[in-house]
Amino acid sequence: MQRVNVSRKQLIACVLIVALALVLGVVGLYGLSCRNADSGVKLLQDMRLQAMLNTAGSGAVDAYVAAEKQVATKAARAAGGGMKEVREATAKAETEARARAEELGIGEVDLSEVDTTALGVALGAMVAAQEAYYEEEARAQEAYIALNKDAVTTTDDAAEITEDAASDAAMEETIDLSGFVATEEMNRLSAAVDEAYLALCEEIKGIFPALTDDILQSLKETITGVMAAAGDTFESRYDRAEASSGMNAGAFGVILRQARTFALTALGLVILALVVFFYAPLVKKMGVPRLIIGMFFLLLCLLALILNLSLTSQLGNTLVRLGMNGVLVLSMLPGIQCGISLNLGMPIGIIGGLIGGLLCIELGMSGIGGFLFACVVGLMISAVTGYFYGQLLNRLKGDEMSVTTYVGFSVVSLMCIGWLVLPFKSPIMKWPLGNGLRTTIGLQTAYKHVLNNFLSFELFGVTIPTGLLLFFALCCFLVWLFMRSKTGIAMSAAGANPRFAAATGIDVDRMRIIGTMLSTMLAAVGIIVYGQSYGFMQLYQAPRQMGFLAASAILLGGASTSRAKISNVIIGTFLFQGVLTLGMPVANALIPGSTISETLRILISNGIILYALTKSGGDTRG
Amino acid sequence: MAKKNWREFARNNVVTIMFIVVCAVCMVFSGYTPSYVMYELFGRLSRNAFIVLALIIPIVAGMGINFAITIGAMAAQIACILVLEWGLQGFGSFLAAAALTVPMAALFGFGIGKILNKMKGQEMIGGMILGYFANGLYQLLCLFIFDNIIPINNPNLTIKGSSGIANTIDLSKTGGMGGTLEKLWQLPVSQAVLVFALVIAAGLVIGHVRSHRKDAKKLGIQLGALAVVCVLMQLPVMKSLFSMVKVPMATFGIVALLCLFNVVLMRTRLGQQFRAVGQNRTVANAAGINVDKVRIIAITISTVLAGWGQLIFVQNLGAFQTYGAADQVGLYAGAAILVGGASVVRATNTQALLGTVLFHLMFILAPAAGKNLFGDAAIGEYFRVFMCYGVIALALVMHAWSSIAPKKKHHKATDKA
Repeated sequence: MQRVNVSRKQLIACVLIVALALVLGVVGLYGLSCRNADSGVKLLQDMRLQAMLNTAGSGAVDAYVAAEKQVATKAARAAGGGMKEVREATAKAETEARARAEELGIGEVDLSEVDTTALGVALGAMVAAQEAYYEEEARAQEAYIALNKDAVTTTDDAAEITEDAASDAAMEETIDLSGFVATEEMNRLSAAVDEAYLALCEEIKGIFPALTDDILQSLKETITGVMAAAGDTFESRYDRAEASSGMNAGAFGVILRQARTFALTALGLVILALVVFFYAPLVKKMGVPRLIIGMFFLLLCLLALILNLSLTSQLGNTLVRLGMNGVLVLSMLPGIQCGISLNLGMPIGIIGGLIGGLLCIELGMSGIGGFLFACVVGLMISAVTGYFYGQLLNRLKGDEMSVTTYVGFSVVSLMCIGWLVLPFKSPIMKWPLGNGLRTTIGLQTAYKHVLNNFLSFELFGVTIPTGLLLFFALCCFLVWLFMRSKTGIAMSAAGANPRFAAATGIDVDRMRIIGTMLSTMLAAVGIIVYGQSYGFMQLYQAPRQMGFLAASAILLGGASTSRAKISNVIIGTFLFQGVLTLGMPVANALIPGSTISETLRILISNGIILYALTKSGGDTRG
Repeated sequence: MAKKNWREFARNNVVTIMFIVVCAVCMVFSGYTPSYVMYELFGRLSRNAFIVLALIIPIVAGMGINFAITIGAMAAQIACILVLEWGLQGFGSFLAAAALTVPMAALFGFGIGKILNKMKGQEMIGGMILGYFANGLYQLLCLFIFDNIIPINNPNLTIKGSSGIANTIDLSKTGGMGGTLEKLWQLPVSQAVLVFALVIAAGLVIGHVRSHRKDAKKLGIQLGALAVVCVLMQLPVMKSLFSMVKVPMATFGIVALLCLFNVVLMRTRLGQQFRAVGQNRTVANAAGINVDKVRIIAITISTVLAGWGQLIFVQNLGAFQTYGAADQVGLYAGAAILVGGASVVRATNTQALLGTVLFHLMFILAPAAGKNLFGDAAIGEYFRVFMCYGVIALALVMHAWSSIAPKKKHHKATDKA
């Protein structure tokens, strides 16, 4: 192994971070172990008992007040008063009774005052019953969803008719459970909970004799709600118990509550220390932005764990989005290799793919056949447009990027008029009123999820979109194969050093056209794959920013504006999409209802392009 | 020979000629009365001319169209928010915002210059991406820093029921800065022309007196032309054409001052350096000019001017969209100056002003024309967006073409030798 040069400052920082990590880690692990040990169980049990006593106490006060009120009303009636007198007497009795209840301490029973052994046993039995019930419920619901998969999941489309395709981060599926009926097992367990509650009630009555069965029944929801809920974790149970018990559990409680946070923070700190230690080689290998975003990705993963968001399902989403965006990002590669730099005019290809998809809907095709048809049409259109686009680019060597951006923009806005006037007939695509095509067109009837569902299987509760990933891998493989063919190597040579390539007899212009065409055609296929996974096609302004997103993804993967590899595509797309997918739920958990993940997307995608640009054009000669 | 000159002229100004044709066609089909079009046009001119003029210096300095002026515009919007937060009122608040814009925009401009110096030859795309990036930072500032970390006490500025700066900032409330610059002094066109003609004439005469070459003939022609314009404007036809227009003298006065500033600056030593750097960085460097510094100065001036331009824009409109107003500034201004016949290496005041007139004429007319021609206003809307991008794309392509063509000729010549 190479010797790593570490400066004194780095070393000190490392030692400090590791020390902190050790402390946090030990505290966290101690807390975690206590959760199942006697002390932890007892603390939670005490808090729950106190919470229950508080609830029951307030019920007892209510019962006492109600009884007093009744007495007062009767007395007033007996004295022959009218409605007014009765009401006044009742109100007076109520305030008096409440004051007296407080004085007597009817509702305030402290944990230390009562013998909790029997109560504790009853409560424990009920909590166990509840937990069994919720477990069964979750299992039954999962089975129900799996059984009626297509009927219950609908992607929310009304909420996201957005201008830019970029802000499609909200790809959430809402699940409709209205048809779900409780299973027999659930009913049985629910009855068991009721039974346990009744047993508990007997114990409570021993403490609060004033409580009647009716009142206890009405308190049932509150008490059971505190003890357990669907999708519970230790943290949420603890929070609920603490909030309704009003107890202060002290430092031990904090350790118990935050044990996971401490342990995960310690893990994060260890990683940070490693990065600080190996800073120089890492920066050399990955570059500053990729390092920062890589670290950010890890941070998001840890935060997701700390906030109890399901990390596996988020990573599963990331996998879907990897396949969904992968081909689009891959389309950057031939452009970079053939020397036209980042193909920000990619929307030209995207439009070809969109037309392919529209034709597929118009002709009423569906399934894998429709998907292939759309691809073929998209390939043909974008081959033609790509050829002319390549011709244009050959006339402006060296100045491609700004020109391609604006050529792409103008083609997109020209096509906006096109979408308005093209003679499509299908009612799925047209606005019900007025002219032209819709801004988002659903693909349910065409090829929605044909790749996603192909051979898909479950792994650790995550659906792996096998077909999608296979298709992406196939595209990558084909491009990889092409890059190793004679033409591919000639193309890379033409991009790397046009003069030298020309001197060795390579037709540079032809190679550039091939690269541009390939890039445009891949973009066409890319948008069809994107659409089939997303479930919608987005027209009008949507394709405009896609070039930037794809460019930033491939740059994030380690490509430069003049050199790119397949690995750059895969790593970059995964990191970029991973940050986006994880960023949203984490940001929403930290600051509810904020759009900070959208802001992050803007910063990351443009920051990475900026960084690449500063690296590419940084000649300091005058 | 004359024919060849014509062809040359047409080729060099193809964008402008095309635009005049488009505007004429749109004018015919829009169905608007000329006086209404003039009214709209003057309103848009007073809003937009300044920011277009802010693009000239970076073009001369060889940095292309400064799409990063969006950042200057953001500085102006931040200044507006702060001024409102401090509760300043009336015209004074406009001046305060203008003063506050300067240090912010200068700082941003310095940063932009530093970054653009690292991507020479890619300034335009770099500036555009910088604008997008800055938009992210701006959102971060307005949504998460203001009102969360920096408290905002003015309830009109924040989102109700959430935190962050509201989507729309209203400047036209009583005591707001909205329209204050316009209301300073307004005149009908016929009188406004007289005032401007007098000022220009005075300037010409003073210039003549102080000049070493006393070109009396030239002065006479210029003064005569001014007089003719003044007289023409007093005709009833003209008066009816401009019947709805009230010229905001202060706004146009500021625009005129900026034109003068551009002219005068180009005659100073700094202006010469801009030009030298713009023509050839290597030569300029060899001549002892600190190229990087000159480029930073050019971008900084442009950014500050753009900030003021945006300030004029928002005070004229009386409100602005916090998160969208700055986005398109670079696009529209860039397209406007190119429409006037400027290229990415050459630009003058006249081109900027002509471009602003033509561009906004198209903006006013296209939706109505689209509606009357195709029965759908959306077509006109998309058409004008297409024209914005298309004009920039065309100008860039033509520039790339014309700068490569001589090189090719040169190559062929050397090949033969």
